[in-house]
Amino acid sequence: MKTIAKQIYSWCDERIGISEIVELAKKKTVPEHKHTFWYYWGGISLLFFIIQAFTGALLLIYYRPGAEAYESVRQITYEIQFGWLIRSIHSWAANLMLLAVFVHMFSVYFMKAYRRPREIGWLSGLVLLSLSMIFGFSGYLLPMDELAFFATKVGLEIPAAPIDALGGLIAGIVGAIGIKAQWLSSIGTSIASLIRGGLEVNEYTVQRFFALHVVVLPAVFLAVLGLHLYLIQKHGNALPPAEEAKPPELRKSVPFFPNFFMRDLAMWLVALNVLILLAAMFPWELGQPADPLKPAPAGIHPEWYFMSSFQVLKALGKWFPGITGELLGIVIFTAGLVLWTLIPFYDNSSASGKRARRATWFGLFTLGILIVTTIWGYLALK
Amino acid sequence: MNYPVWEVPHIGSGWVIGIIAIFHVMISHFAVGGGFYLPLAEQKALREGRRDWLEVLRRHSKFFLILTGVFGAVSGVGIWFSIGLAHPEATSALIHNFVFAWATEWVFFLVELTTIAVYYYSWNRISDELHLKVGWLYAVASFFTLFIINGILTFMLTPGNSWLSVAGSGNEPTKFFQAFFNPTFLPSLFLRMAVCAALAGVWALVTASRIDEGSPLKAEVVRWSSKWVFAAFVAIPFFFLWYLWQVPESQRHLLQLGMASIGQGIFTQLTRTVVVLVSSSVIIAGVVYFLGWRSPATFKFSNSVIIIVLALFATASGEYAREMLRKPYVIGNYMYSNGVRISRVKEYNETGYLKDNKWLPGGSNSVSELTKGQMMFRGQCMACHTTDGYRSMKRLLAGRDKQGIMNILKVLHEYKDDSPYRSYMPPLVGTEEEIKALGEFLYTLVEKPTSVQTAEAATVSPSAQSPQAAAK
Repeated sequence: MKTIAKQIYSWCDERIGISEIVELAKKKTVPEHKHTFWYYWGGISLLFFIIQAFTGALLLIYYRPGAEAYESVRQITYEIQFGWLIRSIHSWAANLMLLAVFVHMFSVYFMKAYRRPREIGWLSGLVLLSLSMIFGFSGYLLPMDELAFFATKVGLEIPAAPIDALGGLIAGIVGAIGIKAQWLSSIGTSIASLIRGGLEVNEYTVQRFFALHVVVLPAVFLAVLGLHLYLIQKHGNALPPAEEAKPPELRKSVPFFPNFFMRDLAMWLVALNVLILLAAMFPWELGQPADPLKPAPAGIHPEWYFMSSFQVLKALGKWFPGITGELLGIVIFTAGLVLWTLIPFYDNSSASGKRARRATWFGLFTLGILIVTTIWGYLALK
Repeated sequence: MNYPVWEVPHIGSGWVIGIIAIFHVMISHFAVGGGFYLPLAEQKALREGRRDWLEVLRRHSKFFLILTGVFGAVSGVGIWFSIGLAHPEATSALIHNFVFAWATEWVFFLVELTTIAVYYYSWNRISDELHLKVGWLYAVASFFTLFIINGILTFMLTPGNSWLSVAGSGNEPTKFFQAFFNPTFLPSLFLRMAVCAALAGVWALVTASRIDEGSPLKAEVVRWSSKWVFAAFVAIPFFFLWYLWQVPESQRHLLQLGMASIGQGIFTQLTRTVVVLVSSSVIIAGVVYFLGWRSPATFKFSNSVIIIVLALFATASGEYAREMLRKPYVIGNYMYSNGVRISRVKEYNETGYLKDNKWLPGGSNSVSELTKGQMMFRGQCMACHTTDGYRSMKRLLAGRDKQGIMNILKVLHEYKDDSPYRSYMPPLVGTEEEIKALGEFLYTLVEKPTSVQTAEAATVSPSAQSPQAAAK
């Protein structure tokens, strides 16, 4: 038996070069210190992505976008053997992946793993997070039940208004110097209509979101993910500042293969167990079919990862009624996102100086705001 | 309803038993599996002249003594206490049939507790041979505690035709051995022994994780303990299938209810729980392999905690599944999960369910309809449902009008062969008037929950309804 296995290995090795990959993996090391735990989160995010790709492919067998969307999801959930489990795993994996990506992003941030030469790793990671959120938003509509319908409707309407307001402001300014750009004042609404495929969320919206969800986003995501993984392989795991300050002989590390790889696999299994537990014990329900003529159900709200921005916009709209609140919202989000994205270029020195401390405070502030506004959002629903 | 009702708000009395039982099973199965692990490991160490192993075993036996002798014993009493309160009818039936078995089991408990204390305190004080014998004595005693409780637990699922033929006649003890060695006795015993071995390995990894990192001793103990998990992992699927093969078709059918659908979530719970049980069991073996077997010298305490938590998932889902597999009975084909004996269904329907109720002030004719309805709810629904928490009636009946509720009660009362509720729920017993009273009570829960308290306060004081007050 062993001889056969060896022969198969040799056959494959000669053609693919497995031993070269193993040798490379053996040479690679992973730092070991009290923050090593945070290194697993990137891998856990990847696991959830793989699970979604796999379960998504299975769902594709029965899912029918367009007018039959709801009926096909109903069949998956209530008629097809273990269809409910596949759908539930897919949905829970999406949520857990976003959670893991958030944990990964903040752990990278606080370990200052965005510093030179890892700036592109940071930027590609943010692109992956944004794509994951669009994945979530587009996937949410696909069952076309009541909740999905109204959440998508509201989700597209909310950002449209402030973008229109901003466009109107710009149109006013450029109008003063003689340039006609009135179309800018309805740019948000136009983009929303383009995404919807009409003035309302309908079966064409499902078609568009479906194409986005299963073709466009995976293609872009895989390309960026490839770059992200290549950069990790190239630069290795970053050391947190406290470890970096130690002399090299005092730093500990373990070989990536097999030591860290085995632990990584164990963490994947633990994450898988959490996923199965949630998917089986709290299966993803399917609501009533969407009916545009019905009023929106009470307490309609976005998924948890959009709750923070939803609540901030809601609060600003309340405190500063009209255009001021909407403009303020878009300015705050844009500014926050730009600062967050550009942090590697601000905090670029390995020394723990003023900039490093400010960046840490900014990270803590952002994390605090996200947590507080998310909780506030859920409390406000009650 | 000769017994007081134990009302546990929000979670229900069943979960009180459940929470205690899950931890108890984790510990008690370790008490049995670890009982074999210790003398076998000691025997190996003595044979190979490994004094360093003996020191590890001494430390492990201290951990073992405290965990099983204190927590295991206390949680065992906790189960007794809680089942007596939550399921008095079923507990009474079990005591009447198995009092001899329980008396025997307590003797083994006593031997178990004594020998494990002697085992730990006599390390390096008596000869190696004698010490090993004490270890084996403990192993045998602990095995028999499992042997006996296994007979009683499996009886509840499959009492067997022999015992059922005399059930209710007063001659049940004449069929003691047939009831004890019932159809699922053997597969369940083997299955539980395999679980004991797995938990012995899992808990031993906790002790092994405390050995100095990087030492060859640590690597050896981690690997030897891992083998217990792997052996169980291979054996469990076979015993599990054997067990299922012996389970009556009507109960096996419950497993299939959740395959194609999550409709009526409660009815699919068994399937969903088994999904968690199977995945957790497989994942435990995988995690032990990757963290323990492949990197034994660097196995950390945090790693062992992860494995324990996974084992807790597996134990919880396993125990929950076992309980659910009995539905709609608490004792198969003899007593429904709400304590109603099958033999008395007809009588209750003709002469009334509440006539036996000792807790109605002034008898069933002197109280309001709502109070009667509440008593019906407490007697027949509350074993599995709460008003506003676990399997909440408010949630399950939300949006229904009075007629809708009455229609459901009618279906439950008629209990036709094709009724969707039949797989999981007992029939609703009682006269037409009592069922109407239950409907009225349930309707107040759905429509305006706060008015229930007002209505109840006007008819009967809540304190007069509580078991504690009744006991006074």
